[in-house]
Amino acid sequence: MMKISRHERMGLALVAPSFLFLLVFFIVPAILLFVCSFWMAQAFRLIPAFTLDNYARALSSTGFYFLTWNALKNGLCTAILTVALSFPAAYFIVYRTRGNLLFYLILVSWFSSYLVRIYAWRVILGSNGLINTTLMQLGLISEPIEVLLFSPFATILTLTHIMLPFGLLLLVSALRDVKKEYVEAARDLGASNAEVLTRVILPMCYKGVVGAFMFTFVISAGDFVTPQLLGGRDGMTTGILIANQFRTAGNWPFGAAMAFLMLVAFLIVYVAFVRLLDLLRLAPGRRFHD
Amino acid sequence: MLRFYVWLYVAFLYAPIAIITLFSFHSSPSLTFPFEGVSLRWYAKIFSDTTFLNSLWNSLIVGASTAAITTVLGSLTALGLARLKGRIQTVFGLLAFGPVALPGLFLGIALVMLFSQIGLQRSLVTVTIAHVLFTLPFFIEAVRSRIEYFDLSLEEAARDLGATPLQSFRLVTLPIIGPTIGGAAILSFALSFDEFIITVFVSGNDTTLPLTIWSMMRRAVSPDINAASVISLGLSIGMILIGGLLVWYQRRLALGARAKDIET
Repeated sequence: MMKISRHERMGLALVAPSFLFLLVFFIVPAILLFVCSFWMAQAFRLIPAFTLDNYARALSSTGFYFLTWNALKNGLCTAILTVALSFPAAYFIVYRTRGNLLFYLILVSWFSSYLVRIYAWRVILGSNGLINTTLMQLGLISEPIEVLLFSPFATILTLTHIMLPFGLLLLVSALRDVKKEYVEAARDLGASNAEVLTRVILPMCYKGVVGAFMFTFVISAGDFVTPQLLGGRDGMTTGILIANQFRTAGNWPFGAAMAFLMLVAFLIVYVAFVRLLDLLRLAPGRRFHD
Repeated sequence: MLRFYVWLYVAFLYAPIAIITLFSFHSSPSLTFPFEGVSLRWYAKIFSDTTFLNSLWNSLIVGASTAAITTVLGSLTALGLARLKGRIQTVFGLLAFGPVALPGLFLGIALVMLFSQIGLQRSLVTVTIAHVLFTLPFFIEAVRSRIEYFDLSLEEAARDLGATPLQSFRLVTLPIIGPTIGGAAILSFALSFDEFIITVFVSGNDTTLPLTIWSMMRRAVSPDINAASVISLGLSIGMILIGGLLVWYQRRLALGARAKDIET
């Protein structure tokens, strides 16, 4: 039998309350949702059964694939933009400044509420919005640029704007995990800044960057509010469908099935992404020990 | 060059908020330039809207309750995690992080499922439960690194000198990790105040502030939404700033006291 020290027993007792909370309100609902995806719904009542109809219905509808593809597109574009735009800022914060003032300044913007940011972009991008009217007043265009709003452009722009601070947070913590000694050693050996970045820093924060990418991807792909308010008719995503099932349409098992199919799609993207990085020789492999 | 980029980055982040704030003081309903004049009429209008005021109050109540519950659960967990080692620690750490890794959509529908199966009516109570679930990982993460940094041997030293576990916690551990816990509590409050996606699913008849703003948005783009938005984000950002200042000030006091003790 494993000897559990008194220390560890105390630790287990201390984490027990929140473990229980997570069990009841996170794990059990997830399992319940999974089970429900095999049930049937009739006139707003749930009927426990075992049927694959919900999955079949989703997988056999072309609309489902189209909407899921929209969701994945949103997620991928947002994740790429967020990581690409935030990385230089994160690098600057970790290697070029002292103290946390700039970092906190950016983080504080995260607390300007989610909805407010969507509303702000809607006001700015509309055909009567700030950008269009200003451009027309300046005489640069004669008609409003319609595609600014209710388009994938609007959705991705807004989602990126929302995710930037969070992406920066993850990237800064990834960069801070890179051991300074390696960076100093490389500098001592005469490496230029670019070489230090590509051959020391990037491989060592690889996991953190992939983590930031995946986090941003999952949250933006699953987001249904932004596409609904800014995405226009062609910007619908599976998330909107699922949300509707649970709020108005009432076919919960169908919604649950679609939700789990989305999770599978996310998993596929994750595996494909890591494999792609591997193929492009961007993954560090076992080049260093940590 | 990089510095310029970073300032552009910050400007991009704050520009939409700045614009909304500017136009919330606009004397005309127009949301474009030219800027015609300053007025508080939209704020007057929104403060006379009872739905708005009720939801603001609800958000404050839910936020305070969430912060309280999360602080208790999260502090216990962080203290416990510091004592666990190896695989149990990693597994539990991952589990605690789960609610943040999934989009709010999944959490929302799973909770709706649970509440309907156990017969719990959707209300501010269910909203609070959802918010605790959502803010707990952030709280634990914010406090954990500080606690790991904290030297358990200080507590052991207190015990060796004759203090009971409770005393050593109260007189040694708490003053050191106190500011961090306070800051994390305020963080939970602010996160709960802004939370929208999960709340959409688990709320009943009583709405929170984000939900009210959302229903205003869906109806039409009208200027009092600007005022409502500025109030909402003003409160959130204000909370965070005050929290941050408190933590910073308390740390300075503690460091100052320690320096004085060393001098004498």
